[in-house]
Amino acid sequence: MGNEAIARGVIEAGCGVAAAYPGTPSSEVLESLVRWKKELGHPIYVEWSINEKVAFEIAYGASLAGNRAMAAMKMVGLNVASDPFLSAAYLGVRGGLVVVVADDPGPHSSQTEQDSRFFGWFAKVPVLDPGTPQEALAMALRAFELSEKYELPVLLRPCLRVCHARQNIRLGNPAPLKDVGRFARNWTRWAAIPKYRLVLHGQLNEKLQTIIQEEPESRPRLVLGDGRAELAVITSGSVSSHVRDIAAADDRLSGLDVYKIDLPYPADAAALQEVVDTHERTLVIEETYPVLELQLKDRRTVLGRLSGHVPPQGELVPEIVEDLLRSAADIPALERTPVEVKPRRPSLCPGCPHRPAFFMIRKTFENAVYTGDIGCYTLGINMGAVDTCLCMGASVGMAGGLAKAPRPGDEHRVVATIGDSTFYHAGVPALINAVHTRASFVLVIMDNGTTAMTGGQPTPASPSLADGSPGTAVDMERLVRGCGVDHVQVVDPYDHAALKETLESARKHTFDEGKGVSVVITRRPCVRMPGVEISLQRFRITEQCDLCMSCVRDLECPAIHYVKGEKRMEIDQDLCAGCGFCVQVCPSQAVEPKGA
Amino acid sequence: MVELILCGRGGQGVVFLTRVLGQIAAAKGLNVISSETHGMAVRGGSINSHLRIGRFYSPLVRRGHADFLLSLDHGETANNRHFLRIDGLIVENSAQEDEPGIRRIDATRIARDIGRIQLENVVLAGFASRINGFPVSGEELRAFLAADPRPAVREMNLKALEAGLSWE
Repeated sequence: MGNEAIARGVIEAGCGVAAAYPGTPSSEVLESLVRWKKELGHPIYVEWSINEKVAFEIAYGASLAGNRAMAAMKMVGLNVASDPFLSAAYLGVRGGLVVVVADDPGPHSSQTEQDSRFFGWFAKVPVLDPGTPQEALAMALRAFELSEKYELPVLLRPCLRVCHARQNIRLGNPAPLKDVGRFARNWTRWAAIPKYRLVLHGQLNEKLQTIIQEEPESRPRLVLGDGRAELAVITSGSVSSHVRDIAAADDRLSGLDVYKIDLPYPADAAALQEVVDTHERTLVIEETYPVLELQLKDRRTVLGRLSGHVPPQGELVPEIVEDLLRSAADIPALERTPVEVKPRRPSLCPGCPHRPAFFMIRKTFENAVYTGDIGCYTLGINMGAVDTCLCMGASVGMAGGLAKAPRPGDEHRVVATIGDSTFYHAGVPALINAVHTRASFVLVIMDNGTTAMTGGQPTPASPSLADGSPGTAVDMERLVRGCGVDHVQVVDPYDHAALKETLESARKHTFDEGKGVSVVITRRPCVRMPGVEISLQRFRITEQCDLCMSCVRDLECPAIHYVKGEKRMEIDQDLCAGCGFCVQVCPSQAVEPKGA
Repeated sequence: MVELILCGRGGQGVVFLTRVLGQIAAAKGLNVISSETHGMAVRGGSINSHLRIGRFYSPLVRRGHADFLLSLDHGETANNRHFLRIDGLIVENSAQEDEPGIRRIDATRIARDIGRIQLENVVLAGFASRINGFPVSGEELRAFLAADPRPAVREMNLKALEAGLSWE
């Protein structure tokens, strides 16, 4: 897998410290590092940090200490880490520092389609853009070299189609830890005040100029054709692989010159312009922003996003690339098999402890605004218990704002839901803010003990670290109390009566008595975690069922469905996880345990 | 060069199956590149993977280019049918009868009879391996699954494989 290849490159570069926060499609980078560390007995230190900003700072600190270091995240994670990232470009690094940022054109599993190459440009940080897992490994190694040579952080930007592609690749040898020597004080650099920042900015600009002059990756490389065609294609990253395959497989496209650029920022703009000037037309195919296109000065013969030829949003899947190539080469468009896609929507797993929590939240807080957050539990949308989803931690911050802006006659009740990992990541400052400003809302922290959506990475409440070594568990109740919340209750969401009582008590505290924010922690491990026993109890639906559909609509259990033609409900015994919540919530008491 | 699409619902083992086929082909010295679905869609949603064997850079199969569509869920077959070539073959987990262009096996029932519904994917792989032109043979699957170090997993997988291989 591309992410495994990147991790392998990190090990082969002799990297000493790696930190990450999980996020699709980046999570397997650190997971693979853990595996390589164990399998190879490599001494690299690995951690799942509390968030991406901290992950970057951990890596930056290690770089200053003289180690090679890596931070990995998804592209929206770089938004969180942007403050230290931009500043670090000015200050520079000591040991090679590589920031792996996985982009998600589509988007398949993200809030935005932002292009991290553009972010690199904004931050004035060089960006390497791999097209395949094999290239990702090579570029990880190269990124460390460039970083150390120019004393700059280097961004390695794989897209989803590289991260989650699998390919058989050649491995090199793991390297012992590289070290550039101990940290030495130099406050005009490492703690530079604005006066020195100006100097550093000048140095940064010089470094970028030198990279363009000295590094071959900043120039377009001819990967297909002889350089004498009428039509040129300039491309980079994972979409370049679609371009290469399609152009190579179609005889009518064989007269095409395909240029690939490995370092899209800072690109050698003069060399790019030369490609344009020596061809009649040039098509630029890149994801997701016009980064290469914007670095061209004369775009009169350029077909791309700025000219309206390339779609300005969405993933450039092979079919779109094929259409773009054919249209640019004046070949008639293809007729394709029509697509009839009715995708199944994702839903919370059978037995998921979030399901009863959402169900009871809806029941207890009618007519509330439900602010939601990022994780599996965003799927509370399906149950009508999530109204908003902005970014990590925003459920708490937005709840504060919604509560402060009531409309006349509105009860302005706000209930926020957030997962445990997301709460640690970005919910804590917002909760302190809510307590301080006497914001009035109920916060439900859905604590399943893990970062479930991305595959079960440990949270700060875990007693063990990424590689299984012991860590200190940070107690959630103490943390919440430490934020200044007086009304904190913990409940098992499988316990129907206790869940109801706990939520009602929070409602009373916050809304009826006006005593400010209250916190309910619904705690039960994720059903997908290793070691979590799934109940073997199964259930049947009796003749008392009046087809009210509450189990499908309100409980949204994937194991229960309507049998057409027979006018009855059925529980899929293979999907059922035996939680039995349907027994307790069925309005007609029509669900009973088997063998009862 | 062979191109495959594998599809199903989250939790059915589409990713596992893709890896098994990819690893076997790669071990034979073939160039393999594949693409997997992760993240939110895995929670019971529609998922598919692309598997390309041959000299490719891109991990994605284009519409109308797949030689085989391996479907673990009848409902998902339609969602992925457009990837198939006109003369491509669908291999589907379903209780229904074969049709022209569609070979079927009731892998769900077989896996349930063995005692583990999650074995549907291995049953389907065993069945598919008997088909002419399928890039991985039953013997190769057997050797691969027999190498699993976990005795219980190994035994169940092999049982499921044999069931798929011998299904009439």
